[in-house]
Amino acid sequence: MGDRQDVLPGTLALMILRTLDVMGPLHGYGIARRIEETSGDRISLNYGTLYPALLKLEQEGCVKPRWGASENNRRAKFYSLTPAGQKRLVRATREWHETAELIAAFLAPKQEAL
Amino acid sequence: MRHLRAALARVAGFLAGPREDDDVQEELEAHLEMETAENIRRGMPPAEARREALLASGGMTQAAEAVREQRALPVLSALTMDLRYAVRALRLSPAFTAVVVLALALGIGANTAVFSVARGVLLKPLPHEDGERLLYLRQSTEATGANDISFSVPEVRDFREGVPSLAGIAEYSPWSMVLQGEDVAVRIQAALVTGNYFEVMGLRPVLGRLTGAHDDGPAAQRVMVLTYDYWMSHFGGDPGVIGTDLRLDGQPVTVIGVVQSAPFYPEPIDVLLNMVNSDHHLSATMIEGRTHRMTRVVGRLAPGATLAQARSQIEALYAVMQVNHPEAYDAAAHPQVAAIPFQELMGERARLTLWLLLGAAGFVLLISVASVANLTLMRGVRRQHELVVRAALGAGVARLRRLLLIENLVLTVLGAMVGMGVAIGGLRLLVSFMERYSPRANEISLDAPVLGFMVVLSAFVALLLSHLVALPREGTFAAHIVEGGHRLGGNPGRHRLQRALVVVQIATSVVLLSGAGLLTRTMLRLSEVDTGLATEEVLTLQVPLLTPAELMFDPAADVRAKQRYEEMRQEMASLPGVIEVGVGSPGPLRRSTVRFDVKAESRPMAVGEVMPNAELRTASPEFFRAAGIPLVSGRGFAATDRQDSEMVVVINQTLADRLFQDEDPIGRRIAWTGDVLRFTPISGDWRTVVGVTATTRDGGLDVGPEPVVFVPFAQFLALGGSLVIRADSNVAALVPAATRIVRRIAPTAPIERVQTIAQIKDQSVSPRRVNAALVSAFGILAVIIAAVGIAGVLAFSVSARTGEIGIRMSLGADPRRIQRMVLREGGVLLISGLALGVAGAMIAAQVIEGLLFGVLPHDPATFIVVTLVMAVVGVTACWVPALRAARVDPAITIRTA
Repeated sequence: MGDRQDVLPGTLALMILRTLDVMGPLHGYGIARRIEETSGDRISLNYGTLYPALLKLEQEGCVKPRWGASENNRRAKFYSLTPAGQKRLVRATREWHETAELIAAFLAPKQEAL
Repeated sequence: MRHLRAALARVAGFLAGPREDDDVQEELEAHLEMETAENIRRGMPPAEARREALLASGGMTQAAEAVREQRALPVLSALTMDLRYAVRALRLSPAFTAVVVLALALGIGANTAVFSVARGVLLKPLPHEDGERLLYLRQSTEATGANDISFSVPEVRDFREGVPSLAGIAEYSPWSMVLQGEDVAVRIQAALVTGNYFEVMGLRPVLGRLTGAHDDGPAAQRVMVLTYDYWMSHFGGDPGVIGTDLRLDGQPVTVIGVVQSAPFYPEPIDVLLNMVNSDHHLSATMIEGRTHRMTRVVGRLAPGATLAQARSQIEALYAVMQVNHPEAYDAAAHPQVAAIPFQELMGERARLTLWLLLGAAGFVLLISVASVANLTLMRGVRRQHELVVRAALGAGVARLRRLLLIENLVLTVLGAMVGMGVAIGGLRLLVSFMERYSPRANEISLDAPVLGFMVVLSAFVALLLSHLVALPREGTFAAHIVEGGHRLGGNPGRHRLQRALVVVQIATSVVLLSGAGLLTRTMLRLSEVDTGLATEEVLTLQVPLLTPAELMFDPAADVRAKQRYEEMRQEMASLPGVIEVGVGSPGPLRRSTVRFDVKAESRPMAVGEVMPNAELRTASPEFFRAAGIPLVSGRGFAATDRQDSEMVVVINQTLADRLFQDEDPIGRRIAWTGDVLRFTPISGDWRTVVGVTATTRDGGLDVGPEPVVFVPFAQFLALGGSLVIRADSNVAALVPAATRIVRRIAPTAPIERVQTIAQIKDQSVSPRRVNAALVSAFGILAVIIAAVGIAGVLAFSVSARTGEIGIRMSLGADPRRIQRMVLREGGVLLISGLALGVAGAMIAAQVIEGLLFGVLPHDPATFIVVTLVMAVVGVTACWVPALRAARVDPAITIRTA
């Protein structure tokens, strides 16, 4: 468990938005599982990291919570993407690609740079 | 937009308070259950499944806390919580809170009051437009000690033409005039000004107009501008006054405007007049006489010009003037002209006194902060256990620091609020005190910058105090908790700081007490000064019957005035209890403004010797006996010394020594001399010395003796006459009767300076009394605080060492020995404080040397007494805790330790 890393600052919001976009409305546990699985268990999410991030997105109007029943009939809070969240996801995805390309260009092998 | 929305949501969350906590708990609980269920599904036993899930969660409580922080504004909620906690904690120790608030109130209040005075008098920009570019020109002759000589019109003309760095030069001459109303006359302080005066000074009208170039010259209309203060106090701010005609010295003059409130130099002024209001100011003697110096000069620096440029141009020009007009400048007297920024001039006399006040107030702040720091330290040690536990439970050191800061902020805010009251009360006293020293005293107020100063000062004090209490470093909590409360008192570093603070308190007290001692001795010395007068049962009142013009150019009016003075004199002499009444000018102990150079017959001046410049005074035959001025040799005046008899004078001992040294002055002849006589009706004829009087302390008890020439009242102009009434007792009771007599004989004459000799004398003592009282009050305060400080620290040290003392006693130390041990501890502090204090006081005394009189700044008696007093206070303060230590019962302490 020691080699699992924390999420990069600023990336968690993007991961949550993308997860909700792909999976539809989901509760906190589901979001955490999905992110951990997608990362190939390289990321572990503390409650103390995940829930404040969700609340922040809620405060920013990107997600909307609603109480509902989970698959084993337990009361759970489901988060869904709002139109504002959708827009933010599109923009953040584009920005992230641009940043990634830029960094990749910088870190390209030396011979190619010559 | 997104951020704004988030911020709004958080503010709403903060305002809503902790309400939805259950919601968070439930959500987290659901997460945990789902994870547990998943773990069971993977084949773990239920107990292990839940444990694994808990481990993976990273802490349920922390998570809930993190969400709560995100929900609202954690800093703000923590602050309100801290604030509530701080108030509760302070309410639990009311004695501590009261002492600290009081000490801080005194420190902050005293400093705020003194700062507002310094700001009003020294720092605040002048109300004049571009006031920082105003210069005052001052002519002085170092060798004769004349330090503020006016300028003559030809001199001003030279400056106007020869100093390009000055864009404008205006003249003003203070002039005392009588304003005649319907049935009373009042003397007012006027200034005759050139038309450009207001423009140069950068003053604007509040009402009407001010003077301009067309108000200059003999053909101009007589006009008058009221100062704002005079307009408010005498016309009730009535705008209808503009355009009305008033009678000044018998001449009509039209009020044209009111000028904005501004300080005047050197005296407050009631009205400003154009030059045409004084025939004298337009006369040829005034316009052409280079030595006829009657006007004060202000200039405004030209755009781009610097003070240094103006000064060097003035200096160069003045040298040329001296070469071109050698008859007008006595080279032996070293004449010079200084250009002084007007703002500096305003604070000139106040600066030293302000330094004294700033110093005293600063020391009071130092001592009050030191004592509060000590109290805080002691309280901090008692609370250390609590703080360590709070830190270990997760409060975090930064959070605790913030808590302490908030506690101290609450204390200083309370202190500042009470201090505000101290400042307001003190300010009223200080303003009336400062009026003696600066024309800007009425500008002193508790305005925004002063309050800002107070806030910054308070915040600084709070910050300082909150960093005194030691907090454990992160990661050492456990060790501290194990240590428990017992050994916490023994932190040597803290103890050193406490002791240093006590030493500072003692030293500061010594400095303040020494200052108070020196100033009190100054006051006593001053009131002991012999005025030179034989009695104090003397009442004086000044009744000017003639205007300056009448006095100098109307012989008939002069004769009439002398008759009326004689009538008043005789009527007053017949009042019951009156021994003698004399007439003369000015009254005893007053300074005469009429001064001329004096030469003695057949006595050539030595090379480089400066001609004595003596006051001219007039006296009726009864004057010397009435005023109690002793005759040293020869005779006083007699009724036979009349206008048509031989011209005689009486001189004082100081002049006799200057002119005749060891020779007998009686029968010698002296005369007024100097170019300036040309402009007066005063003759330079020889006059025979018939008597010598003792020198009296005219113009203030702390002022050196001046040469004086008395001439018989009958043989000279009736200068603003003073009636001098000597009675057998309670001379002040004669005031109503004497006033009635003057009113009947001269109904429209002003009656001024109705004072007894004792009151005149007190005028030079009373400012010193205020100095001494202020600093003594600060000093006594400091001593009390310091005494409490020593006692407190020793008591604390004793209680921290109770266990140790118990052990010592059970091993055979007797109570006396224990007592000595504690006394020694206090004694070391006391001696260090005294040594430091005496050294500091020596330095402080040098700084206030100018305020002392008759006492050396290192007056041994003062320092010895102060040191002894402080030592007695200190030892007494050590005694109480020492006695407590000696009464420690070993049986009890060892059991509880």
